[in-house]
Amino acid sequence: MNPQQQANILEVDNLNVYYGAFQAVNNVSFNVLQGEIFGLLGPNGAGKTSTLSAVEGLLKQQSGTVTVAGYDTLKKPQYARAAMGVQLQATSFQPELYVGDILELFASIYKVALTKDKLNALLSEINLADAGNKKFGQLSGGQQQRVSLAITTIHDPQLVLLDEPTSGLDPQSRRQLWTRIEAIREKGNGVLLTTHSMEEAEAVCDRISIIDHGRIIATGTPQSLIDKHRNDPEVIAVSRRGRITLEDVFIALTGSAIRS
Amino acid sequence: MEITLPKTSTVIAALLRADFTTLWRNRRAVVMTLLVPMIIVFSWKAYVAKAGGAFVLSNAITLGLVAIGLMGYPNSIARDREKGVFQRLRVSPLPLWTIMASRLIVQLGLILLLTVLVFISGYQFDHITMSVGGYACTFVAAIVGGAVYLSLGQVIVGLIQNPESVNSTARLVYFAFIMAGMLGQFEEFSGEFKKAVEWTPYGTVKTILASSLEPAKWDNHTNMALLLTLGYIVVFATLGIKWFKWNTK
Repeated sequence: MNPQQQANILEVDNLNVYYGAFQAVNNVSFNVLQGEIFGLLGPNGAGKTSTLSAVEGLLKQQSGTVTVAGYDTLKKPQYARAAMGVQLQATSFQPELYVGDILELFASIYKVALTKDKLNALLSEINLADAGNKKFGQLSGGQQQRVSLAITTIHDPQLVLLDEPTSGLDPQSRRQLWTRIEAIREKGNGVLLTTHSMEEAEAVCDRISIIDHGRIIATGTPQSLIDKHRNDPEVIAVSRRGRITLEDVFIALTGSAIRS
Repeated sequence: MEITLPKTSTVIAALLRADFTTLWRNRRAVVMTLLVPMIIVFSWKAYVAKAGGAFVLSNAITLGLVAIGLMGYPNSIARDREKGVFQRLRVSPLPLWTIMASRLIVQLGLILLLTVLVFISGYQFDHITMSVGGYACTFVAAIVGGAVYLSLGQVIVGLIQNPESVNSTARLVYFAFIMAGMLGQFEEFSGEFKKAVEWTPYGTVKTILASSLEPAKWDNHTNMALLLTLGYIVVFATLGIKWFKWNTK
């Protein structure tokens, strides 16, 4: 789809989030289009999760607006949340519930009719046909991520928010998850994901923003950012592979110092 | 695309199903909570003749209410908060109050079950029978009394974030209530101590329960105990809700 013709599914405008006197998000603005995977990249503590939390409604911004599928998250929070599917960084469910129970719970919350056959089909789709009677805590990390993504997308949301979805996964699980994320895009839904992995950003994101100290310092397609900064002395100085990568650009823009 | 929200009744029903399933799969802990009041009824046989059936039953129910409100409820809330269960629900389109309402309804169900079991064991072990009105009034009083301890549990989980600390604090408060409440009724203790215990949450709840079991004995003292009980609920619930945080970060 031509980006010019795509509508915004998420609009973040001059967002500011404070924790007491500390400003975690500073005048952040960006948009996610229908059928687009948008990556929010940044070092630890850069403001990625705070930005995402404000979009999700877990944090209340001090100023700025967030609009999901046309609904302002402060004025129509329930409608905005109904239009999105969220996978948090650390998601858990009541440990006594089986995977089938959890899927049924969230299907009801999102007003999705989930018959026994549909439940089985959903489990088969995520290669967990025999996991319906297992507890979430008994699943491996990759299996938990698949269940979590199935819950996130159970109502076919217009916007999917994924907070570091592949962290801690093995390469096979990561690749499989990328395929699932790309399938969401193919349906015409928007995806906003945060990640530390430049490989992931290059592999799946149509556009990215690099955020540091609460501010967005660069936005564009991964390739356009590489092209734009290819000849910067800072980028060349940190380059290690004889060719300029997104990671080189990222480190040059955000600095080499380790963040807490 | 037009968004339609799920009905609140549908959401509540889904949450209740999940919360009751959780309770059922924790039935060993639930049985232990319910067993203690029944043991009290069984072991206090001697007091039935001396102090009356209402005295024994009201103490047993009060003890169970303290256990449900101070041990079961805050620990489950603290654990789920720590695990991120609430955060996951908060990003879905359900009204926030439904999350807690479902949890509290489950606890109220447990309180009703406790009351029924105490009545049955009172009849079985000690042949205690009350009037129909007495049984009916006691159900209402048990709900009111349970609300005191649930709101006190809410204060604990509001003030303390760490689940282990919530657990240890709840145990400490539970122990303090039980010791002061039960020992305060025995004649060996001074009049001043007994009087003070009468107006603690343990004492007031026990008083309204005892009077509910024998409505004819409901007097001004019971009215005062009921008023104080309602006051405890308002204060504890207000503080518990005000201090409560949905996540531990």
